[in-house]
Amino acid sequence: MHKNSYSRPVYIHAAAALGPHGDSNRSERRVLRGDPPPLELKELVKTVVGAPLRQASHLVELAAIGSQLCLKRLPYAVPENTALYLGTGLAEVRKNEAVFRQVMPPGPGMASPFDFINAANNMAAFYVAKLGGLRARNLTITQAELSFEWALHLAAADLRSGAYRQALVGGVDENSHPRANHLRRITLRPDQPMGEGSGWLLLSVAAEQARGELLEVRHLARGTDLVPALRAALAAWRRPDEPLTLLPGFCIEPAESARLAQALPELQMQDYLALCGGFHSAAAFGLAALFDTPAAAGLYVHLNRDLTGHVMLTGVRVLPPE
Amino acid sequence: MSAIQIRGLGLVSSYGMGVACAVEGMRAGRPGITPLTLFSLPFQDQIQVNQFDHAPFPPGAAGATAVIEAAVQEALAEAQLARDGLRDAALVLGTSSFLFAGEAEYRHRLATTGEAVMPAVTPPGQVALRVAEDLGIEGPVLTLTTACSSSANALLVAADLLRRGEARRALVIGVEGLSSIALNGFHSLMLLDPEGCRPFDAQRRGMQLGEAAGAVLLEAGDDAHGDRLLGGANLCDTHHMTSATPDGSAMRSVMEMALADAGLQPADVALIKAHGTGSLDNDTAEAAAVRTLFGAPLPPFTAIKRYLGHTLGACGAVELAAFLGCLRAGFVPPAAGFRHPDPALQIQPLTEFRPAPTGAVMLNFFGFGGNYASLLIAHD
Repeated sequence: MHKNSYSRPVYIHAAAALGPHGDSNRSERRVLRGDPPPLELKELVKTVVGAPLRQASHLVELAAIGSQLCLKRLPYAVPENTALYLGTGLAEVRKNEAVFRQVMPPGPGMASPFDFINAANNMAAFYVAKLGGLRARNLTITQAELSFEWALHLAAADLRSGAYRQALVGGVDENSHPRANHLRRITLRPDQPMGEGSGWLLLSVAAEQARGELLEVRHLARGTDLVPALRAALAAWRRPDEPLTLLPGFCIEPAESARLAQALPELQMQDYLALCGGFHSAAAFGLAALFDTPAAAGLYVHLNRDLTGHVMLTGVRVLPPE
Repeated sequence: MSAIQIRGLGLVSSYGMGVACAVEGMRAGRPGITPLTLFSLPFQDQIQVNQFDHAPFPPGAAGATAVIEAAVQEALAEAQLARDGLRDAALVLGTSSFLFAGEAEYRHRLATTGEAVMPAVTPPGQVALRVAEDLGIEGPVLTLTTACSSSANALLVAADLLRRGEARRALVIGVEGLSSIALNGFHSLMLLDPEGCRPFDAQRRGMQLGEAAGAVLLEAGDDAHGDRLLGGANLCDTHHMTSATPDGSAMRSVMEMALADAGLQPADVALIKAHGTGSLDNDTAEAAAVRTLFGAPLPPFTAIKRYLGHTLGACGAVELAAFLGCLRAGFVPPAAGFRHPDPALQIQPLTEFRPAPTGAVMLNFFGFGGNYASLLIAHD
């Protein structure tokens, strides 16, 4: 089902994608040849945030760095009345495990107060708001493989309805080691590296200084045939002769991507997952990376599906440099 | 902002199955405090809890799903809606997490096999998808985890989906289970009152945790009568991870935003259901917010967490269902647990039953991470 009754355009003013190597622009990104080693972020936090975040979880660090990079790339100060939407499929994996081991037998039986506080799934959004000076709507969406898409959808809807003029939207997930432990929470193919990362977009209703446009985040019911659904979306979104790129999400099988490429020969395929690995909110990395080191102008469509078959199509336009 | 119709309510709480059980308990002035039998804790004698009867439900995530579906069935029955009426509905779930379900699975396995195996803690979104599949819901499925405001925010997001025409109906669910992790955590923060919740009381010392599932069925519609969600707002108070801006200004802001969203003035509010956790800081800030926003005379206000326990992420849907149930039954419950006015707060909640008023009712929900939500409903 999709019904977009609000016609106000939504623009992308800034973006940042933080990958599993601590990479935050194209020159630092490299293809994963396997699972990335555990990422230590304390120094990067100090560099980007300007001070250590004592007691903060790894997920909070990922969110803080990504969101601050995004806001620092904004050519103006972000207004306080900027709504925040954070999508995370697994949220506080490591802190939840930590308090579980502390409290449950054979653990010591008592929770560390700081670990308990940081295990709250909305603590990352709190830190992002605090560091960004945002005092407005603040939602953490934990909807499995479509968490970021729903965050983006809600943000765009609030902008189109006039409830807000700016929104900061992020997708953040952390992995856990070893891989066998993490695979109890996420379904990955054997050849798929387990990733983690943080992707952020600053959305606005103002056209000035825009680097891109968010066209729509479209929800498709289970069982929808992707080829006609994609054709219908392109008919609504694509300008004549506009370059077109498809970004398959981490739940789209390679064979399915190949089928789409065969059915729609004008599609260029972009495999951003090779750079960030598989995680629930990887879409945020893929979409933000289009704008943090600007990609070629054109229409980019992200496609993802959750494990029960709900599909989300996201259309964004990278605008040519002014 | 156009109103959203509240078509059905469902509740599983420490009072039993159904809204009516809770309403009768609250009408009798009887707190739903129960013994804690799910597990034992070294500080068990220092806390009060609200535990529901687990006998009808399996342990773990399957149990969470079953509890939710029991609440949903009641809401559907009230709306006289068969399951196939949910095909084009949205499902929006609010919870703090499903650690309680993982903990229950761990205990069950430990008890039955002797194996202490860390469970794959169920991501909240998967429970929502499972419930949606069971109910035949094909519309949007969303899970919000914003601590104690989770299911209040779920109500707001669901209302937005309906206003935009993205679904014909929306089923909003709040669910939370008692867990030794939550009880341990709040105990380590010294936020549990051994006497139970005493909202706005001079001797209050903290919370009383509870577990429950609440379901609220919403529909878009132009009907200006019946129970309606008039509007609401959500705001992040960045003062501190676990405590509110002391002067209540952030809480006041979210209440003001909620009033603006509903097109109301403070004078239009006939009744307030406070968040009223009984914690020192939260009640102080909420009292300051209410006092400065509404001035004198204040609308009558009450708090209901001594009845139901603080059901954390579920409290938005759970307290809406129970409180609206009381209003439908014709009464406003007093703030159970309140005995001693706190001079520092300069306000005090209801101490006696009142007839349910007509007009707008404000319901407040404030959570960790400074996540606040305020709702306005109409009951007539």
